[in-house]
Amino acid sequence: MSRIERDLNLLEAHIHTFNYRNLRRLDWLLVGLTLALSIAGLFTLYSASQSAAADVAFFSKYYVKQILFCTLGILMAVLIACMDYRALVSMAPFFYGLAVLLLIAVPLIGFTAMGGQHWLRVLGVQLQPSEFSKVALIYTLAWYLSRYQERIYKLAYFIGALAIAGVLILLILIQGDLGTAIVASPLVFVMLFAAGCRRRHILAIVLAGCTIAPLAYFNLDHLPLKDHQKTRIVSFFHPEADPNFAKDAGYQITQTKIAVGSGQMWGKGFGKGTQTHMRFLPVYHTDFIFALFAEEMGFVGGVILIGLYALFLLRGLSLARDCPDLAGGLLALGSVSVIAFHVLVNIAITLNLLPVTGLPLPFLSYGGSFYVTTMMCVGTVLSVHVRKGFFA
Amino acid sequence: MTGSTQKKRYEGFEGRITWLAFALLLALAGLCLRLWQLQVIDGAQYADQAENNRLMNEPLKSPRGVIFGRDERVVLADNRAANDLVLVPALCNDPASVIETLNQIIQIDKDALLAAIANAEQRKAPWEQIPVKRDISRTELTLVEERSFALPGVYTVARPQRRYYYNQTAGQLLGWMNEIDLDEWKRLKPRYSMGDVTGRSGLEMQYEDVLKGVDGAMIVSRYNGSVPQLKTDERGNAYVEMDSKGRELEVEERIDPVPGGSIFTTLDIGLQRECERLLEGLTGAVVVLNAETGEVLSMASSPGYDPSIFVTNSPNRGQLVTATLGDKTKPMLCRAHEFHYPPGSVFKVLLAIAGLEEGVINEHTTFGCSGKFYLPGVSRPWRCWRLKYGGHGGVAVVDALAYSCDVYFYNVGLKLGAERIKAWSSKLGLGVQTGIDLPGEVTGLIPDPERKKMLALKAGKTEPWYQKWYPGETVNMSIGQGEVVTTPLQNAVLMASVLNGGRRVRPYLNMELGPQVSEPLFSEETLRIVTEGMRKCVARDKPAPTGTGKEAKIEGLDILGKTGTAQVAGLQHVKHYANEEDIPYELRDHALFISGVTDRSPRIAVSVIVEHGLHGSSTAAPIARQIYEYFYLNRPDEPGSASVAQPLTIARREVGQ
Repeated sequence: MSRIERDLNLLEAHIHTFNYRNLRRLDWLLVGLTLALSIAGLFTLYSASQSAAADVAFFSKYYVKQILFCTLGILMAVLIACMDYRALVSMAPFFYGLAVLLLIAVPLIGFTAMGGQHWLRVLGVQLQPSEFSKVALIYTLAWYLSRYQERIYKLAYFIGALAIAGVLILLILIQGDLGTAIVASPLVFVMLFAAGCRRRHILAIVLAGCTIAPLAYFNLDHLPLKDHQKTRIVSFFHPEADPNFAKDAGYQITQTKIAVGSGQMWGKGFGKGTQTHMRFLPVYHTDFIFALFAEEMGFVGGVILIGLYALFLLRGLSLARDCPDLAGGLLALGSVSVIAFHVLVNIAITLNLLPVTGLPLPFLSYGGSFYVTTMMCVGTVLSVHVRKGFFA
Repeated sequence: MTGSTQKKRYEGFEGRITWLAFALLLALAGLCLRLWQLQVIDGAQYADQAENNRLMNEPLKSPRGVIFGRDERVVLADNRAANDLVLVPALCNDPASVIETLNQIIQIDKDALLAAIANAEQRKAPWEQIPVKRDISRTELTLVEERSFALPGVYTVARPQRRYYYNQTAGQLLGWMNEIDLDEWKRLKPRYSMGDVTGRSGLEMQYEDVLKGVDGAMIVSRYNGSVPQLKTDERGNAYVEMDSKGRELEVEERIDPVPGGSIFTTLDIGLQRECERLLEGLTGAVVVLNAETGEVLSMASSPGYDPSIFVTNSPNRGQLVTATLGDKTKPMLCRAHEFHYPPGSVFKVLLAIAGLEEGVINEHTTFGCSGKFYLPGVSRPWRCWRLKYGGHGGVAVVDALAYSCDVYFYNVGLKLGAERIKAWSSKLGLGVQTGIDLPGEVTGLIPDPERKKMLALKAGKTEPWYQKWYPGETVNMSIGQGEVVTTPLQNAVLMASVLNGGRRVRPYLNMELGPQVSEPLFSEETLRIVTEGMRKCVARDKPAPTGTGKEAKIEGLDILGKTGTAQVAGLQHVKHYANEEDIPYELRDHALFISGVTDRSPRIAVSVIVEHGLHGSSTAAPIARQIYEYFYLNRPDEPGSASVAQPLTIARREVGQ
């Protein structure tokens, strides 16, 4: 095969990078679960909108704007599902560079809102680059791990993967998005684990983490964390010791527990959550939306919602497992993992099992960047599934 | 198809993903368990908390009872709605700038406010309402409401506020109020809450239980960070429920406050005002009783004070309160019942009654007065006030009362002895509490040998002269000097008994108590003789010497009277002053006068004292005359008077309804 022929083959491959006909082979179960969860989210936000001031313009209401974000997210998922993920994976280093650049740029030209996170305004649209950097990380790790899978058992390559993730996570941390950083960290280990690294390497890192964490907690003052983050960590362990108990994290924890607990078995009914509607619950439409859901729908509703997530995530994992291509499998796994961590950590925070940190709940929380990112992950999983037959 | 990135999976991939799926399921199951714990196991408890969160118990202050004059057209004290400006630090984005804005609109104490906010933050109570300014004016209210958008966290709270219509008039009788302190609150809760006021003197204190009422409460559902704003009607009852952000609140439950009970007093406000006018510039007291019943028609004490300064919020309130509390002239002291004076010659009325009743004298018993009175073995004489005119000569009891002969009563006193004088004093209400329904009544004092001995023993003084009762002390007692002290109110009770046929009355202010009158305590014969003496005392038509109370005489009225001039300092201190006017004020004698009218209804007993007024005859008697002129002759047609045209039962009927 001449060099020209090889180039022509590559060209042909790229021409087929985008193929809308692949949509016929979508995994409709995953699509259905995605839509079910999104609709549940819209209804919950509709309830949340009731408690906002009545004079908010129609197009400013949470659920109306979220419909727009959903549309955008679905388009994005369809776009990615149509693309050949291998082409995207081959471009991963480019995405990675772009993500690093954006994350560096944000503290310089972006603006701050919502508890210290940085935002970027592009063409009048507010974006959270840290959200999109999660996707870049998934693709980059998939690229790296599939490329060096044979050597990943070696410590050097293991550390290489950590370094790739570490740079990005550090940049995310610097701009104050602790939540995204917390979700991105285990992602690395899950993908390393799936890529076949040595278990003892992961074990060592986990043990090291368990040693450092208490040390870090008792030396909080010396850590490069923002004050409000330190407060949240302390108030998780001592909610009553919070100097701004009524206003801040301790208050959030207490009120959130009251909201969830008072839902009891059957909930207070749709739109009847007093904790939310009387404004006792902080950020009820974003990070604490599960509390609103649990207050209004009760234990039964909460379990059904967790069940939907379980089905969605297991389906995603099964699609990842069934992918014969390693890069595709890792991509799908990474995408599902990100969503899974968001679900687990967010609900754990709401149920007061983890310290409060700004972390949204996939499909339910209000927010454009996050929903679009989530749908990019869904699109990736779908894209991987669509093309699995090509390599069988 | 070929692809440079395509790579076959390695062996263990599927297995590892399955492991991850199990881990995921485990974690999700863990969340469900936690959800079960929060919502099902502890759910009821959290539901309670959510309910407490949502519901707010807003106290509804009971308006304090109204104090009326003799009838319901005269309101002495009632309530109006007052607006307090408060600030909740947690609702202000920046308290400092909010205070700055406020300061530009109305006058506030910026530094104190900032300190209070800092204090609240320190105590971790940012939701506490911090009073900015109490009882703001309507103008201020409008100014603040206009700029409410610039003043987050600042709003008004309405409450009933005490209002005294007559300012200084009857100030000591109504009494003053202030907020309870922490210790009192601990004792008085839950009926009282911090910030409540309680009566500290006068009727406000005496009838605190009646006037206070019972606070109600309103349970409202509220928004987080909002504070219900109660709108109140004129009388201070809450009726509209909005929160600080203008959202309407749902009232879940409402327990209406029970307003305090009304007090219908016996006070004749016109007469009271007249009495206080007469005392203006003087220090002293006037008591006017209905002699038949003991109703206090007027009880004036000068100088006076305005109880409003303690409850209203004038800019210089602190100054006013401090000045009033620390005033050397003691304007808050009701000199009619909270302070006692030597009765001086007024006491002779009692002595005459006692002497006649005990049979030590009769109408015709005569003693000679040369101006001096000697006791065996005592070289120093007791003087009569007419010494410089050569005494009274031979006088019987009627003239002795009329001309106030000291020597006559020295003799009567010696014949009676201190024990019998004391017994009769107690019987007729001198040196004992009258039982008036006001706090702080003093007893006064009538000395006796037993008491002297007891005090000496108590003090460990064994020398005989400390323990033994000397006849000279009885002599001093006989003209209301020495240790004898009585209150002007007691003197009025004595006067009333002369007017009403020998009955002792219990003076009272609350109409509801009703009269409490004893059986006649002395015979009609005694009454006739004493009445004649006292009538002659105010007579003008006699050749000299005339009655000492002639200044009180009004043609056409049958007036009885007895003057009194109570020595404040011993003679040796004042005798070197040529003129009375030269004597320093604090050494001058007190001027007393008790009197009454027999031929008009209602018969009133008047007791006047002017501190350091020199003579009862010249200072106190004219005041009594002007009271009669006002009460019986020039009575303006005004509501609430106790004159014949206004039956005494008006207010009582109101109470009964």
